[in-house]
Amino acid sequence: MKIQKITAAALVILFFQGCTKDVDFNQLDDANIHTTFISTLIYLNLTAPDFLNDLNQEISATSDFIDPPITDETKPYLEKVEFTVITKNSFNRNFKLSITFYNAFGSPIYVLQPIINVPENSSELITMIEIPKADIHFIYNTRYFGFTVLLSPSTDGSVILISDTSKFDLKSSAKLFFNYRKI
Amino acid sequence: MRKCSLFIFLVYAIGFGQNKQVLYDFAGLPQTLLLNPGAEVENKFHIGLPIFTQISVQGGFTGFSTYDIFADNGIDINDKIKAAVNKYGTAEFVAFNQQLEVLSGGFRLPNNDYLSFGFYEEVDFLAKIPRDMVDLYYEGNTDINRRYSIKKLAARAEMVGVLHVGLSKKINEKWNLGVRAKIYSGVFNINSKSNSGSFYTEEGTHNIYRQHLDNVNFLMQTSGIFFHDGEEIDASYVKSKLLFGGNLGFGVDVGFTHHYSKQWTITGSILDLGFINNSKNVESFIAKGDYKVEGVQLSFDPDNPENYWGDLKDDFDNSTVLDTLYKSYISFRPVKLNGSASYSFGRKYDDCRFLIDRGLYVNKMGFQLFSTVGAVHSYVAGTLFYERWINKYFQAKLTYTADPYSFSNVGLGLSTHIGIVNLFFTADNLLSLNNIYSAKSASFQIGLNFIFKDKN
Repeated sequence: MKIQKITAAALVILFFQGCTKDVDFNQLDDANIHTTFISTLIYLNLTAPDFLNDLNQEISATSDFIDPPITDETKPYLEKVEFTVITKNSFNRNFKLSITFYNAFGSPIYVLQPIINVPENSSELITMIEIPKADIHFIYNTRYFGFTVLLSPSTDGSVILISDTSKFDLKSSAKLFFNYRKI
Repeated sequence: MRKCSLFIFLVYAIGFGQNKQVLYDFAGLPQTLLLNPGAEVENKFHIGLPIFTQISVQGGFTGFSTYDIFADNGIDINDKIKAAVNKYGTAEFVAFNQQLEVLSGGFRLPNNDYLSFGFYEEVDFLAKIPRDMVDLYYEGNTDINRRYSIKKLAARAEMVGVLHVGLSKKINEKWNLGVRAKIYSGVFNINSKSNSGSFYTEEGTHNIYRQHLDNVNFLMQTSGIFFHDGEEIDASYVKSKLLFGGNLGFGVDVGFTHHYSKQWTITGSILDLGFINNSKNVESFIAKGDYKVEGVQLSFDPDNPENYWGDLKDDFDNSTVLDTLYKSYISFRPVKLNGSASYSFGRKYDDCRFLIDRGLYVNKMGFQLFSTVGAVHSYVAGTLFYERWINKYFQAKLTYTADPYSFSNVGLGLSTHIGIVNLFFTADNLLSLNNIYSAKSASFQIGLNFIFKDKN
């Protein structure tokens, strides 16, 4: 009988005690996961012929374009994009690099600020560019990106010659800042 | 929100994969024959109440509990998520197993062998999630040179109907052997194992970073998941697939009971040595190869405009294989191993201290081992148990189990025989009953049998 009483008491304790402590599943609404991804981007290795036309005359600007597919899947979560641009210039000339976003109709909709200034004969320079949260939507309306290198006139009137061995190098990467809300 | 809460509760709080440590070798229940076909039963015949013969639900997650995340304790949920991620192991797994014994019966043959048979439905899910995947999702890839590997990424999921027939044979006073044959009918199957490869970022030569997919080899096989001929998934579809209209397979269980001495008993079993041939609605996905990229080199040549993105994609496609296969495949069921050693003691006396039953000991205690061996995941659990006749109607079993989920899993089983009616209930993780949300796993089985014993 004693064993039965002990067993009964144990069962009562086990099954009739409180089954849960306080939990609040509504906290999920406050959950945020901040994740940052790094992506490699474009790079340039430009030499004198890139700034000369067919007649070997200096041109003041040169452009190129890239059209990566952009989907809306990440749109609700992408909060900021931060570009790192590293430049090195052994030309005796200043350059400016502007990056423009174009929509499907070929119209420019956004220009990354600041425009990258590359001084003459400059060693490695790092420029940080940010697309703030308010401007993120431009990315998703972009059909292609345009890169324009502007060649500033020389102070002494000299021009780039085909025999010039100087180089203009550019490296870049992007940090994409996501916030996954309501996991 | 309520649906979400229920889902989370189910995933985190109910059950654990396939170790039925309380039910194993308990009270001579007919269900013990499913865990050891060589178990000894004293029935003349038995039949389970259809659908209610045995309901078993098990599951769990080794990573963290519901309470770890959702405790209403004033701590910001994001801090709790961070703490849970920080203590995440190299790889954690989430498991869910549900069984519904639709039909169960058995009877003693003229030669004293016991033939048992039945049909049950089983859903089994197990996913092994490596820490690298969690970190990649939670932190991103800013850790330069860190390799995010998919080596430990594996998963299996299936729903099967199982028709079985088994024989328990008493060889002599010391040995009882058993075997059970099973025919599987699979409704669906997902299998992904032996994956390898990693993703990493390092400093580049031409650009700031170089990014790698290194020796990736990923395969996920599926059957009964994707449909192309307009088949609709409804109750009648599932029923027809469970009842031998699905992907068919075959398996066996073997087991034994050995009375080493009058009071010492050793048992063991191997379950689900079997396979399913998945040939219907098969669709498998393969990804393999190496790829590295430093970015896109712009040439600024207006006379020869380049399709940079197209070239990059072609280069990726040439370096990797992304394919869908429609070829049938064999999936193996996870093999389960059970073993126990027990010592019986305490004779049953009446009030005048006369021995009531010469063969019956009131107490049994011992040790059980359980292991599941599978390509996706294997683990071992150990159990100490104490079983006792409380009175002539009730038997109880108390267990303490150490398994990958916890080292404090206490379980209890109760079985009652009143006349021909046998009702049993087993559950584990009772120490978490005061806060079920803190349990990383739990399980229960409940069932009703009608057992007819020999009058002798």
